[in-house]
Amino acid sequence: MMRLQPRHAVWIVVVTLALIFVFLHSGLDFDYVIPKRIARLTAMLIGGAAIAWSSITFQTLTGNRILTPAIMGYEAVYLLWQALLILFMGSASLVLLGVNGNFVLSVLLMLGYSWGIHRWLFRDGKSNVYFLLLVGFVLTLLISTFTQFVQLKVSPGEFSILQGFSQASFNRAQPLQLLFSGLLVGAVCLLGRKTLPTLDVLSLGRDQAVSLGVDYRRNVRLHLALIAILVAVSTSLLGPTAFMGVFVANITYALARTFRHRVTLPLGGAIATGMFITAQLLVEHVFNYKTTVGILVNLVCGGYFLVLMVRTRGAP
Amino acid sequence: MITVHDIHKAYGAKAVLKGVDACFPARSLTSLIGPNGAGKTTLLLMIARLTAPGRGEVRIEGRPVAGIDIGEYARRVATLRQAPDFNLRLTVEELVAFGRFPYSRGALTREDQRVIDEAIAFLSLEPLRHAYLDELSGGQRQMAFLAMTIAQQTDYLLLDEPLNNLDIKHAVQIMRALRRLCDEQGRTVILVVHDINFAASYSDHIVAMKEGAVYCAGSVAEVITEARLGELYGLAFDITQGQRGRLCNYFNP
Repeated sequence: MMRLQPRHAVWIVVVTLALIFVFLHSGLDFDYVIPKRIARLTAMLIGGAAIAWSSITFQTLTGNRILTPAIMGYEAVYLLWQALLILFMGSASLVLLGVNGNFVLSVLLMLGYSWGIHRWLFRDGKSNVYFLLLVGFVLTLLISTFTQFVQLKVSPGEFSILQGFSQASFNRAQPLQLLFSGLLVGAVCLLGRKTLPTLDVLSLGRDQAVSLGVDYRRNVRLHLALIAILVAVSTSLLGPTAFMGVFVANITYALARTFRHRVTLPLGGAIATGMFITAQLLVEHVFNYKTTVGILVNLVCGGYFLVLMVRTRGAP
Repeated sequence: MITVHDIHKAYGAKAVLKGVDACFPARSLTSLIGPNGAGKTTLLLMIARLTAPGRGEVRIEGRPVAGIDIGEYARRVATLRQAPDFNLRLTVEELVAFGRFPYSRGALTREDQRVIDEAIAFLSLEPLRHAYLDELSGGQRQMAFLAMTIAQQTDYLLLDEPLNNLDIKHAVQIMRALRRLCDEQGRTVILVVHDINFAASYSDHIVAMKEGAVYCAGSVAEVITEARLGELYGLAFDITQGQRGRLCNYFNP
């Protein structure tokens, strides 16, 4: 008899949640309510896949389970960019660039930023991931402080627009952005799929990976580039999710019971999507938009993670 | 045979290796000995291609290693550093299977499975086959990692202080296994070892290093002498030849 493993149960739960999300109190309105909800669901799927993939591979490369790519300063760059837009062009920037223009520019800016620091840090044969983390962390602090400095210069009305950008949300994603993000994330997953066994070897650490014939430098650079694309897309699409990746990755490890990325990456995507749907359901039907998804996501993830820790410790 | 030619390496202003020339004969067990900071591990890591030399060259059967593709190199030379502390939940069998990565790139064939079974049997690890690494003792872990390296089926095995933190029983097990790999399978084993008595009992060849250069190299009989070891470590040695081999006593000056 086949026993239902936790990792299979996750898929059933996520599909159920998705159906509830689309149809609950919808009045089966296929003209307006349901298409809107499906757009939000698509944003969650794309964002969930991007966050899970980037966090889990980032943790594999760094050999550390409490990090997310946020430490590299991508989100800080995004927020600084939004703050500068508001500072120099005022709220008119929203009209001038349009939502799609802002989205594309944000993606390009974050990619340019990561290309710059990777290129500088990997110059002449160096490949020290810890140094990369340190530089990323210092840049994050520096850029965030600068953003705060800018925020003090803008008017209270414009400040509230900035506040909106610093919270994750599924409502601002436009169909064109969804298509573009979906294609990018899909391309990354396809490209990354072939490297999954190599990622498994990389989780043994640099020395063992090199000894097993993995071109460490090339693979680390490839995966950091993939991570940069995923983070740029998810941040531009949903806004910063900060340390949600830590929860998603660790919940995944606990439920997957294997280190193989073939299992953990899809499962992580499902878990992240499930968390998003739960938070959004709560926002829409319980809190009536009186709280934000960003806050609830961290609450739901953190709560579930603690429950999981307590339960697995008790188990034999 | 692996040879190193005029190897230099400096970390910042500090020179770690200053013109090392040495030769590691094929099908024999060579120990690298010497005081801390002599550059033994650095030299071993260079042969493993984990560190690049500042100047000079490592050659394998006459061919410079820098020109060999890293994937191909992993089918000729396997390296084991001190068992790393990672927090993966991994069984012994899964770890050993990693040794087949240079051949199968992750998709195990029947042949891979046979080699994995052989490596596990070679070290008598069958009872631990499905045990998780984080549940094993330090000695058992080291054996599991050694099995992975054996499954890599390379002619050359490099080991960096494989006896570190092991009790004497596990240390003897590891050394006997290395000796058998050498004698039964014709593999070439190079290891950094601190216990001079293990080096004296199990090696064919010894390379002694001091202050970033080769102090002396040769057969066990040539290197393990009271005068040479005395000068190498700056300690008084008393070497006795018993029925079960040489015994170096340096414990009381």
